[in-house]
Order: sequence, then structure tokens, then C-alpha cells
Amino acid sequence: MDLETGDYQLLAGSVVLGLLVLFYGGTFVMSLFIGKKKENADGYMTAGNKIGFGVSAASMTATWIWASSMYASATSGYTYGISGPIHYGLWGALMILFIYPFGRRIRAVAPKAHTLAEVMYARHGRSSQLMLAGSNILGSVISLTSNFIAGGALIALLSPFSFRQGIIAVAAGILLYTLWSGFRASVLTDFAQVVAMLGAVVIIIPVVFFAAGGPGLFETGASNLSAQQSNFFSSDAFMNQGAPYIAAVLAYAIGNQTIAQRLFAVREDLIKPTFITATIGYGATIIGFGMLGVIALYAGITPIDGDTNNLIPQMAVTYLGPVLLCVFFIMILGSLSSTADSDLAALSSIAMADIYGQSVGKKNANPKTMLLVGRITMILATAAGLFFATGQMNILDLLVFVGALWGALVFPVIASFYWKKVTNMAFTVSTLAALALFLPVRFEWISMSGATGYIVDIISIVGVGVVLGLMSFGFFGLKIARIIGIAAVVIVAPFAFGTLHEYAVLSGSLVAYSVSTVVCYLMSVRSKQDFDFSTIKDRVGDFDPVETVTSDVDPVVTSK
Amino acid sequence: MDIFWLTVYVLIWPVVVGGTLFVIVRAFYREWRQARAEGRGMV
Repeated sequence: MDLETGDYQLLAGSVVLGLLVLFYGGTFVMSLFIGKKKENADGYMTAGNKIGFGVSAASMTATWIWASSMYASATSGYTYGISGPIHYGLWGALMILFIYPFGRRIRAVAPKAHTLAEVMYARHGRSSQLMLAGSNILGSVISLTSNFIAGGALIALLSPFSFRQGIIAVAAGILLYTLWSGFRASVLTDFAQVVAMLGAVVIIIPVVFFAAGGPGLFETGASNLSAQQSNFFSSDAFMNQGAPYIAAVLAYAIGNQTIAQRLFAVREDLIKPTFITATIGYGATIIGFGMLGVIALYAGITPIDGDTNNLIPQMAVTYLGPVLLCVFFIMILGSLSSTADSDLAALSSIAMADIYGQSVGKKNANPKTMLLVGRITMILATAAGLFFATGQMNILDLLVFVGALWGALVFPVIASFYWKKVTNMAFTVSTLAALALFLPVRFEWISMSGATGYIVDIISIVGVGVVLGLMSFGFFGLKIARIIGIAAVVIVAPFAFGTLHEYAVLSGSLVAYSVSTVVCYLMSVRSKQDFDFSTIKDRVGDFDPVETVTSDVDPVVTSK
Repeated sequence: MDIFWLTVYVLIWPVVVGGTLFVIVRAFYREWRQARAEGRGMV
């Protein structure tokens, strides 16, 4: 099978064209219902900070589910066996859950913010903002590119159209319905997309399971699994898939502007139910899709071209009829579009609030100019995504780098919302120091034999304590977090010392957490800074004029 | 894991997804009705 030439045609060109028109035409019509001739800059970024539970939960779920996560979960199921999907999907879901207590604090400190980087500017200054905004931009462009590639590959696989035609169709479709109303269009269309996605999951997984042989498959195909793959408590699956993901839980949530944007958009009292629902929705969907990889393993299916990213489409074309294949097509289109439109909205918000808004100052920012900046950013981001997608650039190494940057930012960002002593210098130096040590460990630039390996082990073991301590801190506070963090170090040390450096992905992430935490703590603990958190909400707020409504008077536009 | 529990393990996820979808759709419908009654947009 050649994805680029599309010689594996299964749906007629007219059918695929019809589905594309139906999907993107439908979402465009939806966006017209909420479109305003004069859009509001704050609405374009966060929908006025008051969207309800139904819209926000749908949007959070749809945004977090992307085509790559479906493919990766199936790959995990195929590679590591029955526990594989859990080690991908569960920890990915917990990224949403574990960020919500911090989200409530962030929202309390900056109720009208648009981006996390904007808040960091108010808390610390330019360098902290630049690091966070820079990592957000890189992450969103990578995600956008990845979704375009997934769309192009899907269209090339299932139709006579080429990969290049596919990515252009997907990019144009997404830009069409997102450009005018921005985040508002993104969250509203997310609802339709999540209905299509989750509805398809409910049907497709049981259909594929029974078509592949049903329960009998577990008997006839058991010999296809190794001992590790048959074991629900597989150490291979945990060390290679689960543990690095646990370490990444907080990093991806902190570093992702699409999550922060929804955090600032949802009504403040609905943050908790929104995040819990999205956790369950994402987890069940992605673990469910991982089961297709497990079924493929039991059925003895070999991925075409040896590429496990082909597994899900391969299972679909093998076991689904034409109608369900169309449903599958819409589901994948929904998953990649909902994430890509969120990336566009995230990038436009960063350009509007962090680049334009903060450079001219809140009081001097012109909302009309901001909207123009946001829309131009969306067009440029789409062009950049298309450029990287057509160039077939290897974005995975870049993703590793961004992930590490996010890992290095976790402690400084979280501490900056709770601890008055954290300084801009501590934030910046700790993040850069963590990155400097992460790179040689993750990419194995230095030999891990002898003392170096042991030093990396010690730093990584501290990182285990930091990760678990931070996770506990959000829910249980500082005292419990300290106990759990120290207990984790004591319990893990005897097993991890001497071996942890052999797992480069895991130890690299842990080193990033550990170094940034230790350096940030040491540089802040003696600082004389006594930051007043109540000042942030005065510095970060609405850019548009405020509409004041009184009981017997029409809305009056006043200037803030 | 025996065959019964493996089957449950595979099929439980679409059930959970269905439940989540129901919760989201019901909430969306209620918000849509409320917004309509109050003459304002949902987002």
C-alpha cells in the first residue's frame, strides 16, 4: 500500500468528495449561526469566559482526541498486548484530570485571561512569557501538521485523491469554518464533531470485534501473543509506554494552550465537571480504539508496510462495510479537524494576546487590530502546517524537544501560581538548566556507563518524587504532596538506582522535572520577593470595551 | 484473563463512551433550550 499515490482505493472519489462537503459544509453552516458581522476580540479568544458544561465538555473531549492518539493507542495495543491501550489512554486521560485543580487556581488568579503565557507575563515578565508562548506555538504547529498529515493519508488511502490533495482539502475545510469566529466556532463545531466521533466509536469497536471472530478470537489467537503481551501487568508495557506517559501527564497539560484556552472559556463553577467528563470521554475512546490493536494482534494481522499507523485504517477496510467505512472516515475527519481547529484558535490567541496585546499594552490594544492579527495568524499557521506536511519533515524529534520544554516548565509554572517567592530569574534559569541536562540524557549524547549513569539515576529518582508530589499537590495540598513525594523517592530508589538510565525516554523526562524543580526551589527559597497575586487580574483582562447592562436600560457600551 | 473477562475488557469502552456521549448531548440540549429562551447565543 502506498499512501501517497492512493493505490488502495476503497471509496469512490465522488463519495469521499461528498463526505468532505457534508462534513466541512455542515461545520461551516454551524459557524454561520454564531457568526457576527463585528466579532469581539475576547470572544474570538475565549468566548467571553462563560460557556456552559455541554459545550465545554464536548470541546475539551474533541480537542484532546486527535487522529494520532487513536493510531498510537492501537499501536500500543498491538505492540504491548492487552495492557498496551491502558498504558496509552489512561495516562493521556489523566493529563486532563490532573490539571483541573491547578486550573481552578489559575482561573481564580486570572479570571479573564486568554493564554497562560499572558498570565506568566503579569506574574514574572517577558522571558517567562516567551518560553511558555514559544513552546505553545511550537506544540500547536506540530499538532496542526500532524493532523493535516493524518487527513491527507486517510484521503489518499481511501480515495483516488492524492496525499497532497487530501491535506489541502482538510486545511481549507478547517480554515473555512474557524477563520471568522475563531474560538467560538471551534468550540461549537466541536460538539458536532464529538457526537460523530463518540457515536462512531460506540458502533465500530463492537462491529470489528465480532467480525474478527468475537470471544473465540481470544482462544484461537492466544498463540500470537508473547508472555508479556498476554500479561495485564506487563513490565515491558509499563516501562516503555506507561511510565514515560505518567511523567508527561502534567507537562502536556501545562504546555498545551488548547487546554488553557478552554480553562479560561468555561464558566468558573463548571471547570470540575467539564474536566472530569472529558477525562472519561477521552480515556474510554482512546483505550477503546487501542482494542483494535489488541484484536489485530490476536487475529495475527501484520501492519501493511510494517507501519503500525496503518493498523486502524487496515482494520476498518478489512472488517467494515461501505456504510460503516463512511462513518469511520467521518470519525477520523472529526478527530483531526476538532484538534486542528483548536490549534488554530490557540495560535491566534497567542498572537493576539501575547504578541500584539502585551507589546502595545492592554489599554492601548485595539480590538479590531487584534482580530485582524488573529485571522492573519490562522492563515499563516495553516500555510506553515501545509508546508511542513508536504515537506514530509520529521516532526517527531521536535515533538520530543517541545515535550521536554513543557516538562521543564511544569514546576516553575505551578509554583508561580502558589509561591510568592518565585522570581523571573528562578523561572528562566531553572527551565534552561533542565533543558540543558535533558538533551544529552534523552538523545544519549553522553555515555551512561559508570558514574554518569548513577548520577542520572539519582536525578531521575528525585524526578519521580517531583512528579508524584506535584500530582498530589493539586488535589491534597502541600503537606500530603511532600509525604507522597518523599515516599515515592524512598520506595522507588532501591529498584531504580542502577537501571533507570537505561530507559532514555523516561529518564530524560524525569531529569527535566527534577532539575527545574531543584534549581527553581534553591533560587527562590531565599528570595525577598513577596508577590501579590491579586494584582494579576488587574493586569490581565478583557481587551474589548465592556457592555454594562442595567435593569431598565439597553446595553450601554462603556470603555473600561 | 479468561475469555469472558477479555470480552468484557474489549466491549466496556464503547459502553462508557456511549454514557459520556449521553451526558454531553443532554447538557448541550438543556443549554441550547435555556439560551434560546433567554434570547442569547450559546457561545
